[in-house]
Amino acid sequence: MADVKLTIDGREVEVPRGTTVIQAARKLGTDVPHYCWHPGLKVAGNCRICLVEVEGMPTVQISCNLEVREGMVVHTESAKAKQARRDVMELLLINHPLDCPICDQAGECKLQEYSFEFGSDGSRFQFPKVHKPKHVRFSEKVTFDAERCILCTRCVRFLDEVAGRDELDIVNRGDRNEIAVARGAELTSPYQMNIVDICPVGALTSTDFRFKSRVWFLKQTRTVCPSCSRGCNVTAGARWNRLLRLVPAENQAVNRWWMCDDGRLAIGHVGADDRLGAPLVRKDGALVETTWDEALRAAADGLRAAGANLLALVSARLTNEELFLARRILDALGTPHRDVKPRAWERDELLRTGDGNPNAEGARILGIAPRAGGRGLAAWGGSAIGAAFLCGEDLDDRPELLDALAKASFVLVLDSRETATVKRVATVVLPGVTSFEKDGSFTNVDGRVQRLLPVVSAPGDARPDWRVLGELGALLGCGAAPRSADEALRALAAAEPAFAGLSLGRLGALGREAAREAAR
Amino acid sequence: MPLAPRLMKDAPPIGRRQTHDEYVAAGGYDALQKALGMKPEEITQQVLEAGVRGRGGAGFPAGRKWTFVPKNTGKPVYLACNADESEPGCFKDRQIMERVPHLLIEGCVIACRAIGAQSAFIYCRGEYPHSVRALEEALAEARAAGKVGNDVLGSGWRCDVWVHKGAGAYICGEETGLLSSIEGGRGYPRIKPPFPAVEGLWGCPTIINNVETLANVPVIVRDGVAAFKAAGDDDTTGTRLVGISGHVERPGHVEIDPAKTTIRELIEVHAGGVWKGRKLKAVIPGGSSVPVLPASAIDVPFTYGAVRNAGSLAGAAGVIVMDETTCMVDALVNLMQFYHHESCGQCTPCREGTGWLEKLVTRIWKGEGAARDIDLLDSVADTIGGAQAGKTICFLADSAVMPTKSFLKHFRADFVRAVEEGGSPVWRARAGQGARAAAGAHG
Repeated sequence: MADVKLTIDGREVEVPRGTTVIQAARKLGTDVPHYCWHPGLKVAGNCRICLVEVEGMPTVQISCNLEVREGMVVHTESAKAKQARRDVMELLLINHPLDCPICDQAGECKLQEYSFEFGSDGSRFQFPKVHKPKHVRFSEKVTFDAERCILCTRCVRFLDEVAGRDELDIVNRGDRNEIAVARGAELTSPYQMNIVDICPVGALTSTDFRFKSRVWFLKQTRTVCPSCSRGCNVTAGARWNRLLRLVPAENQAVNRWWMCDDGRLAIGHVGADDRLGAPLVRKDGALVETTWDEALRAAADGLRAAGANLLALVSARLTNEELFLARRILDALGTPHRDVKPRAWERDELLRTGDGNPNAEGARILGIAPRAGGRGLAAWGGSAIGAAFLCGEDLDDRPELLDALAKASFVLVLDSRETATVKRVATVVLPGVTSFEKDGSFTNVDGRVQRLLPVVSAPGDARPDWRVLGELGALLGCGAAPRSADEALRALAAAEPAFAGLSLGRLGALGREAAREAAR
Repeated sequence: MPLAPRLMKDAPPIGRRQTHDEYVAAGGYDALQKALGMKPEEITQQVLEAGVRGRGGAGFPAGRKWTFVPKNTGKPVYLACNADESEPGCFKDRQIMERVPHLLIEGCVIACRAIGAQSAFIYCRGEYPHSVRALEEALAEARAAGKVGNDVLGSGWRCDVWVHKGAGAYICGEETGLLSSIEGGRGYPRIKPPFPAVEGLWGCPTIINNVETLANVPVIVRDGVAAFKAAGDDDTTGTRLVGISGHVERPGHVEIDPAKTTIRELIEVHAGGVWKGRKLKAVIPGGSSVPVLPASAIDVPFTYGAVRNAGSLAGAAGVIVMDETTCMVDALVNLMQFYHHESCGQCTPCREGTGWLEKLVTRIWKGEGAARDIDLLDSVADTIGGAQAGKTICFLADSAVMPTKSFLKHFRADFVRAVEEGGSPVWRARAGQGARAAAGAHG
């Protein structure tokens, strides 16, 4: 469609016909204050904070529902526009509890931000406030405070328009209005926690995260959710070296603004009690701590001895770089027996892919699968196992295989947790880290290579898996160990056409598509 | 001052409904027969030329509104008749619905013909059970007589009319709140654009007209534009039905020629004058939402333009009369309770502001206010809206602001007195009674 030229605050901008003024302003880097408007939801036009002045129009206009017109002259900072905003701010706060000191939203609250920017330092309202229900349970995941709510209906619209579950609405009328679930019901949407993120104020809080930390103390890191092959972009918040929450980070090519609740809440493994903090070797039937040098040497010796007979199970939860380094080792050993353990994950139409391996696509591109004559995981139970390498994997859910592995002469396990597999069958244990503790990349279901960044540091002496696999490869004569995940990705890029030209820096915040056609 | 009964010419007395046969005997449904022989655009053109302005209050030319229906969208077109008549002081539409319902039904069917609709919904306020019953009985007669239904007057054209009852919310009289309500949703007014003529009921083009507006359509089609324009002037064509209430000897309604009837005549001639021989203090001419006029400003004809020039709006023609004993603080408390209670709560300024207005004026009313509260009341009113403010989706906030501002402008002395004398006379009398009762109980 043809572009329309207009002027906003004295600057010209050209946008496609049908664009709204608030969007055109964003193109100029001007963020017109807004509560109810959200780029991923239909326009509601109820908060009235985005009022602007338009030359030739007698009344102020909400910029969220005003389509641009050729030659339009908009003022977002004129006296009239500013007064209108100040008026709305004053009214939003008269019945608001102003309980910022105990509110979880403080620090990332639009009411606070706009108050700070253009609000008043006092109130002309000297009456008892309207009281409404507090700490209302919307579900086990979401808690609601009706007094903090500004009735912007983002939550109502998200559940209806995006999650496809019309589970919230407004009851009562006027300044008694409240958001509510149907009587006796609770929210059921598997995406319901997104309403906590898009709530511009402290009305909707995450039952999991609330009261854990003031948000300004969080170290916020952009990374990728490891729960399925969608690879939703997330902002991970950590404090005291503890991962406290995940919230979705916008990426229009992947998850838009959203993520599923299961992915969001799947962070317990990071700070789990059974994390491995030191290399272990089995002596006289018991696992004992040892040094990295000794453990790596024992691992290399065992692998070398097994050679082409080694059964390898490589996790598609490892990064592209790690899969590449693992493949290098298996190639050096000449074993055709390599496979990936499938991981089920509930599928839906919105984001969840059904594949619980976050780097399933990376593993596919890198060809982590049985070679000619190779023994895949399905055939591990068939006959005795001599030596095995569980690279980032466990078989806790396959007790019959653990029985077989218990009889093997050598079982090398690289993992971040002391699983039943480690306890029962490992001969050598190399402590790796979780995806929240390392640098690297995943390739998502659509072939987009996305960057992981460390959010917290791993316990004890655990090392990033890329480093472990690099050093192990060096001992096996595969060449020098990469000194960084970036160096590993550059080596991968040089070796695999699908990743040609990539480096961690080049992935940027939003990732880049792998040249998958080249891999086929 | 000439009476100009046109809509109500053949109306039976209050309490009785004109039957289908009576209506037909008086020439009823002739206009429909005529309209069926016309092209839809010709009907619209006639209504356009007649210049009939919306009788629901906004005064928008009905014919022009009809031209906004987009052509060839492939979607059905709907007609919604606003019969919510929820504006305090207004009771003119019920005269039509309860006494000459066939006039409205005929108007609906002709309007449908003009705009290309085959369904009309009459959204009638729930507090009007008599209107609903009259409409439903009349509709049954009209269906039986082939005036409404699958084969209108044997033309093979289908057009149906339905009565939809409201549930008591003022906001559902706002035209887009009305649409939300018909659809079964919460009575929330809708942001514009899209305008209802483009996306109304169920996302389809919808024209919304007031009862009296539609009742004028058969008159225009039957008698022609010139005859219609014989009443009124260029600004306000045709007659107006006016309701007069408050401190008058004979409250009621009357159909007038607006160009030849002043507000004073409405009160003094048609309503028998201010009651009890008292003097006039104030008039709200168009229903509770419009600015109040002082007694000195009422010698103006009841046209849209003349009343606007006098500082108010003819609105929905609900003339509320207040005599010299009225304390305007009392009156404003009543109005603010209403707007606060009826605010749908969608837009911030109205949701939060109407309550604040009520609290402020109540404080003054009870004698708990200070002089600065009067200025604050005026200032808070500016904060939430006003004429040409555009701060909210619909006009409810502005409807609370206009009385507030005008009460303070014309009758500030009443507010000052309430502050200085410890409350309005009514409040003090009531508090005094309370005190006496309490003293009695303890004595």
